[in-house]
Amino acid sequence: MAQVREGEVEKLGVLFERHHQSLFGFFVRLTGRREFSEDLVQEVFFRMLKYRHTFQPQNQFRSWMFQVARNVHFDALRKRQREERMIARESEQPVESDSHTPDRQAGQAQEIALLQRALARLPVEKREVLLLSRLQSLRYAEVGEILGCDPGAVKVRVHRALRELREIFAELTGEKRYEV
Amino acid sequence: MKCEQVRESFPDYLAGAIESASQADIDAHLAGCAACRDELSGLNALWARLGALPEEEPSPGSEARFHAMLEAYRQGMKQAQREGAPRVTLAEWLGGFWPRQPALQFAMALLLFALGLLIGSSTLSRQAAGTAIGGPNERALAQLREEVSTMRQMVTLALLQQQSPSDRLRGVQWTYQMTRPDEQVLSALLRALDGDPNVNVRLAAVDALHQFASDALVRKGLLRSLAEQKSPLVQIELINLMVQLSAKESVPVLKELSQKQELDPAVRERVEWGLQKLG
Repeated sequence: MAQVREGEVEKLGVLFERHHQSLFGFFVRLTGRREFSEDLVQEVFFRMLKYRHTFQPQNQFRSWMFQVARNVHFDALRKRQREERMIARESEQPVESDSHTPDRQAGQAQEIALLQRALARLPVEKREVLLLSRLQSLRYAEVGEILGCDPGAVKVRVHRALRELREIFAELTGEKRYEV
Repeated sequence: MKCEQVRESFPDYLAGAIESASQADIDAHLAGCAACRDELSGLNALWARLGALPEEEPSPGSEARFHAMLEAYRQGMKQAQREGAPRVTLAEWLGGFWPRQPALQFAMALLLFALGLLIGSSTLSRQAAGTAIGGPNERALAQLREEVSTMRQMVTLALLQQQSPSDRLRGVQWTYQMTRPDEQVLSALLRALDGDPNVNVRLAAVDALHQFASDALVRKGLLRSLAEQKSPLVQIELINLMVQLSAKESVPVLKELSQKQELDPAVRERVEWGLQKLG
């Protein structure tokens, strides 16, 4: 990214190859919409190009990318909320259709589908902290950098999010509700 | 260790980022506390499930879309570089006329102020001309004219003493706005003609002095300079001027010049041409 910052913008292609899939995964889990997520990925890379001079070479590229990603998501949400206020609210599709495989009997596939549904029911800020620290395998210090808080606060949020997710997941699977 | 403390460390435990010293404490607590053990194993199972979620694949079109965007951006950058370089804005162009030194800026501001007053009062006096002729307006106007002219001379003199050749050139050009510069300005111009280190300033001084050639001081100065000038370009320019002015008094100087062994051949040719014209 340091080279992109110095004007070699074609080097962004390498970064796209390396990171666009995990970024796409982050957005899909966060928003539950594939097409929308693809738009967001494009917007993130465009903004990184446009605001390349704000990248500090001593920082981690992935932390910076997710900071941009959060801003893009936040802006898109605001825009969508404005639009939704004007037109009739469309029916919600919180879970990706491709996770509803016909093979619903298969225990593992069902479990994945349920976990995805549980994730989708989690408030967005809790979902986000889990996605970053677990699915993106970022260290708590890096997640703190992205969210603008210290690592201790990230751990507290991860803990709370996990417990809430466990409750929702238990509800969905019909298990006995876990006492908190 | 209390249950609360142990549970606080669970996120580190799950991420495998726990320090070995605390690890032993936590393990000791877990061994004796079934509630914490259950809590940890529940979270751990969920943590593992989250990690096992399949990766999402973006559509194949996504990559092409990115490269199209990148290419368009690069083209835009190139175009901006091509267009950006030689363009000079109006502000920059106007800024070229503004002196860089604070003292000169002040003088310039005063001059513009006085000019404003002059324009204002001349408009007023023209309006008043229908009702009254002459009077105090006329006197005030003459006084203002005098002030403006003094100010111009000040600016010119200050510019001619500047370090930068372009400032001195501007000083020379300022003299074109004067109908009758005082001796100080004329001497400054002649000094520039004789000794300015920049040949362009000396050439401009020749042209500027042309307009005041009727002045005896200028005439004498030009003749002296013709005898002493070292630059062939300025010498040629001076000879041209002498011919234009039909200055017969320059003939002895020209003859003396033609005797010099080391004279530039182009200048020698011009001297002979001058002598022929004037003789």
